[in-house]
Amino acid sequence: MAVFKIALINELEKLYKKKKALAAIVFSLAVIILGQLAIWGVRAGFGIRGAGGGEFPLLILSVVIKTVLPLFVALAAIDSFSGEFSRNIIRVTLTRPVSRFKIFSAKVVAAAIFILLNLLSIFFLSILISLFFNYKSLTVTGVASTFWAYMVSLLPLLVLVLGVILLAHLLKSGLAVFFAAVLLFLASELLALILPQYAGLFITSHLGWYKLWLAHTFPLAAVLRKLLLMLGSGVMLFVGSFYLFERKEF
Amino acid sequence: MEKIIEIEELTKIYPNGRGIEDVSLEICQGEIFGFLGPKGAGKTTAMKIMTGLIKPDRGAVRLFGYDIIDQYEAAMAGVGVLIEVAESYPYLSAHDNLQQFARYYPRVDEQRIEEVLAITGMARYQHEKPKKFSLGMKQRLGLAAAILSRPKLLILDEPFNGLDVQGMIDVRNLVKRLAQEEGTTCFISSHLIHDVELICTRIGVIYNGKILNIASTENILKDYASLENYFVNEVERNGRV
Repeated sequence: MAVFKIALINELEKLYKKKKALAAIVFSLAVIILGQLAIWGVRAGFGIRGAGGGEFPLLILSVVIKTVLPLFVALAAIDSFSGEFSRNIIRVTLTRPVSRFKIFSAKVVAAAIFILLNLLSIFFLSILISLFFNYKSLTVTGVASTFWAYMVSLLPLLVLVLGVILLAHLLKSGLAVFFAAVLLFLASELLALILPQYAGLFITSHLGWYKLWLAHTFPLAAVLRKLLLMLGSGVMLFVGSFYLFERKEF
Repeated sequence: MEKIIEIEELTKIYPNGRGIEDVSLEICQGEIFGFLGPKGAGKTTAMKIMTGLIKPDRGAVRLFGYDIIDQYEAAMAGVGVLIEVAESYPYLSAHDNLQQFARYYPRVDEQRIEEVLAITGMARYQHEKPKKFSLGMKQRLGLAAAILSRPKLLILDEPFNGLDVQGMIDVRNLVKRLAQEEGTTCFISSHLIHDVELICTRIGVIYNGKILNIASTENILKDYASLENYFVNEVERNGRV
């Protein structure tokens, strides 16, 4: 466990010192501010009611969960794997007294922490902006359920990242991984629309599962079904990626 | 004397037919072993298998008695490695790169990081990022990373790559000092025969993926005017220069 902890600290330090990771968080936050300004503009200019203070963080989540968040977490994962595979930078870590399983797991956990930090910063800023623009419609229970909606979004994003990590082991360049990930994301969204009866099989369809947690009557069966599907996909993607990582020659 | 490296019938053949075949070696504590061969002879392949970067088709490697595949962490605990061109994280400073590696060794502290930076002549560049470094500077940083943990075994693949004359002399002196003062065992591959002759106590010649001969430098120089003559003779005997 001590060696894994060191590997994780190293991965987090690398993530922190890469400007891309910081840029991702700043960009996500910029989206929130722009979102609120747009709502304010629509309300003031056209007299149309935008999202209220309580709804704004959920509106932001519904936008970022399918746009900037998958994009930035995919970029971080590509950097962590394909970036280190290129020019064999990863050799300097692999030749330390640490097993490949611990290095791989540390990278995945670091990606999960990155997603969590991103979700938390978007949540807190959107709540802050809601307080500033329309604090009257904010309630404690509303904030709590919104917070939970943000937290449960970690799981589908993590499954998505594991998919990107698998691609990083199948394709040589980071650029190819990025484009393949974007194409697969769009294809998955399209297929879910064309074949709604099979939508549960596509990873991207789980991104909206936070909505299940907001229902007045808790849909236990639906939540369990989605949870098991995501866990199943996650485990398969983790094992498949690690199998390739373990066999990879550097 | 304690066996530090044991290699048994190591074989790895790539799809293009190149690689190594039935390489067997034993290296004892304190030796500076020179792995000599032309480019493409199989030196790097053997060293990558020794450090777990690639897996052999068959055969085994034990470092300090630990199998490199089944007991990786124990086998690598006392090993410092530099394989081919020394790479480092371009977005971390030279110091932060070393700090990343230092965390894996409980006895390596800030003072040791400063020490290896000074030994390799990188102290004044420690806050700079390697993306701006020349090949020689990268190689020096790679050497600093390799000796950081005060390893009992140093595996250096082409450590003179990109170094100027002074750099080569520094590396030779460093390796000799580590072997003499700290009893470090060194496994060095190079195609630079002169440098190998100056530092290595035992020489193994590899050609076309096979070990041609292993002998002590002292014995070789009794029979041949130079290591180069010995190398040419060994290769000729096996069919080519």
